[in-house]
Formats: sequence, structure tokens, C-alpha cells
Amino acid sequence: MKIYTARRVAGHASRLITLLFVTLTLAACAAAPVPPTDELTAASDAIANAEQAEARRYAGAELEEANRQLEAANKAAASEKMVEAERLARQARVAAELAIARTEAAKASAINREMGRGAEALDEEMRRQGDQQ
Amino acid sequence: MSPTSPDGSEDVRSKLTELQQNPDMMTHARIELRDAEAAVKLAEQPLASDEAVLAEHRLYMADRMVEIARAKGEARLMEADRERLGEERDAARLAARTREADQAHADAQRARSSQAAAAEMSAREAEELQRQIAMLEAEATERGLVLTLGDVLFATGSADIQGGTNQNLEKLVNFLNQYPDRQVLIEGHTDNVGSAMFNQNLSRQRAESVRRFLTERGIENRRLSVSGYGFERPIASNDSATGRQQNRRVEVVIENRE
Repeated sequence: MKIYTARRVAGHASRLITLLFVTLTLAACAAAPVPPTDELTAASDAIANAEQAEARRYAGAELEEANRQLEAANKAAASEKMVEAERLARQARVAAELAIARTEAAKASAINREMGRGAEALDEEMRRQGDQQ
Repeated sequence: MSPTSPDGSEDVRSKLTELQQNPDMMTHARIELRDAEAAVKLAEQPLASDEAVLAEHRLYMADRMVEIARAKGEARLMEADRERLGEERDAARLAARTREADQAHADAQRARSSQAAAAEMSAREAEELQRQIAMLEAEATERGLVLTLGDVLFATGSADIQGGTNQNLEKLVNFLNQYPDRQVLIEGHTDNVGSAMFNQNLSRQRAESVRRFLTERGIENRRLSVSGYGFERPIASNDSATGRQQNRRVEVVIENRE
């Protein structure tokens, strides 16, 4: 009886401990900060696109800024500062998008300058021909 | 909690307003400006003083979105300009081609007309030369124009040119003045009366007389060369008086040009 009781008490305690452990684990899981995976992915994708668009050549500072922001976001995520990580990831993405936009603008400007030069060269040619007459 | 907008949001707002007032930007970056407007509005939301980091994040986002709108608007504006530039260049190219064609046409016409003028000129010149030669009563030969100054120019046995009978010489002077690049050979000839030596000298002296006459009238000496052939080259028989008279002569050979 005594042994039985002791066994029962032990079994009870063990079940209690297990339950407590599970509960604690679940609680820990629920409270554990989730890294902002979507934002981080979106930021890396935007940076990759910027590099694809030759942002390093046309908007190097902006691309650099995006990389700095993404690095900071990853660091924040690693130290479980997830709110900060998410904001930094958003900033990295918008910085990369700015790098893309400025790259496109710089390219468009270069093309227009070239075209303008072509037209000017023709005008010049015409003027010279005119002078010869 | 402060009801005022976070510091720095006015700057972003004024940048955005500037873009919104630019019709080109409104045309070419409408969606980006709308997104930027939303971001700026969010950045303008008053926040508690302990939310400074969030305020900064919102400002960062708003500022970048305004700049994205500006860059995209500018890029699209330039793309639109490109069409205009292309049209301008085409127009310039067309004008250049037209001018080239016009000029080629004008050149061809000019060449044609100058050719025609040159042809006309040389035809006129040739005609004039013929007229001069006819006036000179010279004979066109392979050696050139041969003008025969007859015996009447000189007294018998004399090398001096007789006055008043040198109308042919006057014509020769005129001709030589008109064609200053022609060289002249002056050849003296005699009949067979007297010794060969005498006749050779006489013929030469007569030729020299003609040369002197010409240089006195302004013909350059270096154009004139003189020889005396005596009776070596008769053009008629020395048996008759008429033949001998024909043989006593000075021939002036005006060399052909070229």
C-alpha cells in the first residue's frame, strides 16, 4: 500500500513535470520572436534586381545603402530584435528600389545625351556643308 | 503624447509637394507619387516621444519613396523625350541628305555649265586663231604657221627692211602679242645669185633684221630664233626671174603650241 502510494505519487509527479515542461515549451515557442523572413527575402530580391540592373555602376551609393540596411536587418534578426529587423529589412528594400529607379534614370539620361549628340553632329555637318557653298 | 508631426516630416512633405506641382512628374510618376503620398502621411502621424525609432523608420521610408517617384518620373520623361529626339534626328538627317543631294545636283550642273563654257571658250578661241591666221595670210604646216615675207621687204643685196612695206610684219607683231606663248623661228632664204657664203650671210642678216624689227616692237627676244639658209632651200626654180624672186624670202615659222 505504502509502496503503491509512493509509486502513485511518483507517477503523478512525473506526469505533472511532463505537463509542466510541455506547457513551458509551448509558451516559450509562442513567445519566441519569429524572424521577418518575408521582409528579409523581399529586401535581398530587391538588391539582386538592383545589381542585375547595373546599379553598382549607375547608383553605387544607393546600392551600398541597401546592403548596409540588409546587413543591419540580419544582425537584428540574429539577436532576436525582430521588430527592428523587420523595419531595417523594409528600409533595405526601399533603398534597393531607389537604386534601381536612379539607375534607370541615369541610363535614360545617357541614351538621350547620345542621341542629342548624334543630332548635333548632323546639324554641325549641315552647317559645315552650308559654309562651303 | 505630442499632437505634432515628427521632426523632419516637413522636409519630406515639401519635397513631395514640389514633385506633385510638376505636371511632367504627375504625368510620368502618378502611381509612385500616390504611394509616396501615403508614406509621407504615415510619417506625419504624431507619435509618442518613446517611438522615435518608429518615426525615424517612417521618415526613411517616406523619403526614399519620394525619391523613387522623382527618379522614375525623370526616367519616363526622358524616354518620352527620346521619341522627340529621334524625330529631330530624323529631321536633321533628312535635311542633311536633301542638302547633299541638292549640292550634288548643283555641282553637276555647275560642272556641266563650266564644261560647256570651256568648250564654248575654246571654240571661240580656235575661231579667233583661225581668223588671225587668215589675216596673217600664214600657211598652217606641220612645223607650225609659216608666214612668208616676200622679197619686196628688202632691197636687192640689202638686209635692211624697206619702210612702208611692212604691213605683214605689223600683223605678225599683233599675232605674236596675242599668242605670247608661241616660239618663233625666223629663217632667211636667197636665190642662187652670188656665192654660197654671200647668200648664207645675206639670208642670215635678213632674218636678223626681222628679229630686230620684232624685238623693237616689243616681242621678247627669247621667243625668237634665227637661221640663214642661203640658197639651200629654194621654193621655186632659180632659172627665171619670177622663181628667183620667190626664193628670196624670209619665212617666219610660228611653232604650234603643245
